[in-house]
Amino acid sequence: MQITINRNGENYGPYSLEQVREMLDSGQAQPTDMGHVEGESEWVPLSELSNNLPEAVEKPPVIGSQDGDTYTPTGEHEHEFRIECKPDFSYLTVQVPANQTLKVEASAMATMSTNMVMKTKMKGGLSRFLGGESLFINEFSAQGGSAEIGIAPGSPGDMDHVHLSGADEIFLQSSAYVASGMQVNVDSKWQGFKGFFSGEGLFLLRCTGHGDLWFNTYGAMIEIPVDGNYVVDTSHVVAFTGGLQYSVESVGGLKSLFLSGEGLVCRFAGQGKVWIQTRHPMAFANWTYPFRPESNN
Amino acid sequence: MQSTIEGGPAFAYINIDLDPGETVIGESDAMSSMAADLDMEAKFNGGFFAGLAKAFLGGESLFVNHFTNNTSSTQRVTLVQGTPGNTRAVELNGQQLCLQPGAYIASTPGVQLGVRWAGFKSWFAREGLFKLTVTGTGTVWYGAYGGLLEKEVHGEYIVDTSHLVAYEPQMKLNIQLAGGLFSSLFGGEGFVTRVEGKGKIVVQTRSMSGLADWINPRLW
Repeated sequence: MQITINRNGENYGPYSLEQVREMLDSGQAQPTDMGHVEGESEWVPLSELSNNLPEAVEKPPVIGSQDGDTYTPTGEHEHEFRIECKPDFSYLTVQVPANQTLKVEASAMATMSTNMVMKTKMKGGLSRFLGGESLFINEFSAQGGSAEIGIAPGSPGDMDHVHLSGADEIFLQSSAYVASGMQVNVDSKWQGFKGFFSGEGLFLLRCTGHGDLWFNTYGAMIEIPVDGNYVVDTSHVVAFTGGLQYSVESVGGLKSLFLSGEGLVCRFAGQGKVWIQTRHPMAFANWTYPFRPESNN
Repeated sequence: MQSTIEGGPAFAYINIDLDPGETVIGESDAMSSMAADLDMEAKFNGGFFAGLAKAFLGGESLFVNHFTNNTSSTQRVTLVQGTPGNTRAVELNGQQLCLQPGAYIASTPGVQLGVRWAGFKSWFAREGLFKLTVTGTGTVWYGAYGGLLEKEVHGEYIVDTSHLVAYEPQMKLNIQLAGGLFSSLFGGEGFVTRVEGKGKIVVQTRSMSGLADWINPRLW
């Protein structure tokens, strides 16, 4: 059963009955909010709705149901979407309204409606190539009606979403880009030598504009509010808000650069947010490398 | 027989509790642990030639293991797939299910495993000339790298060829380019499968080719 909630003229959801109950319990939804059950014609207050509905039927023990967590947007967003199989194999499904277009990392499309038309754009030319991100971003347009696209990034890990409201600026580690709305500018211009030393790809992508932006990690993702100073290993940086000052430095002078194994860190200062990943690809590569079968030629 | 799948979606494993007299059949190498009193017997995967066909055409093992409980109490066997990812179970009641080669993990004795001609189009899309089918009555366990999501298809839907794990036999599969010629060659999508009909498909939320594309540039 899918329930849409309306508060002050704005629709939220749809949610499952269990989600609505939880939202009522947590105060996120009010009993006075109006609810609409899919397939019904009338809107009724949630208080009435949750009383009249049958107790959540205990689901039969579906074997193999551990599909991970599903995230649907609760805050501001431009597209309807959900992220499934979080955090291990996060998978993004976006509904693209009729005749609109979504930008998606090349070769990440896993499923789509048949009226979705793909176009390849060489975004940013050479600098994009140097940015470590694949040379192309594909544009998927919903022709003649709304269409759905399922997006599977290459690395195992988590995914997050931010909604840019025009004034926002987000810096992304180049390999973290998944998808964005057409009003989001993804700029791969040279970020100076700070970017050069970040270890994981030469460039940071600067995302500005208006709309949805999705990015992914290798490993789990942690969102850290920064107020003051904060230090992150460069290869664990996924994204950060533009208001933060950052500098790349070795964690404890030259000696520890070579001896501590910590390499370079990114020091953030100011107020904002940093997203980090709990694993980093080079560590995985170094760990698997000795086990590669070697050819003799 | 009672069974549960735990550890998903990253490292799913199947616990099967066999009642006295019951048997479960697992892909060779699928057993990770079992009660010492269970009897295990390696057999050809449906006879010598049928086994060869499945091994070479369907990506499965030549031998399968039969785990039989000849004791008088319930005994547990734990079976796993080789790759990280999730496992699903499906109850067959005479119907058929088509599986991606290599996806099969285990089944109950009433289930027959077969290989079917998939066509040159399928081979062209690097999905193999043959597909694996399971049919009969009983439970089948299958798995793949990534999470597994079930989708109802009414009409047509497009799935990247490396993401399709299972589908109902009435679904028609057609291979096509992902976009125009330029986009398909340079956009990294290549070939996609156009699924037509009314029924269920199961897709995996990660692919081996995606993993390889992600890690290979870092291995030099």
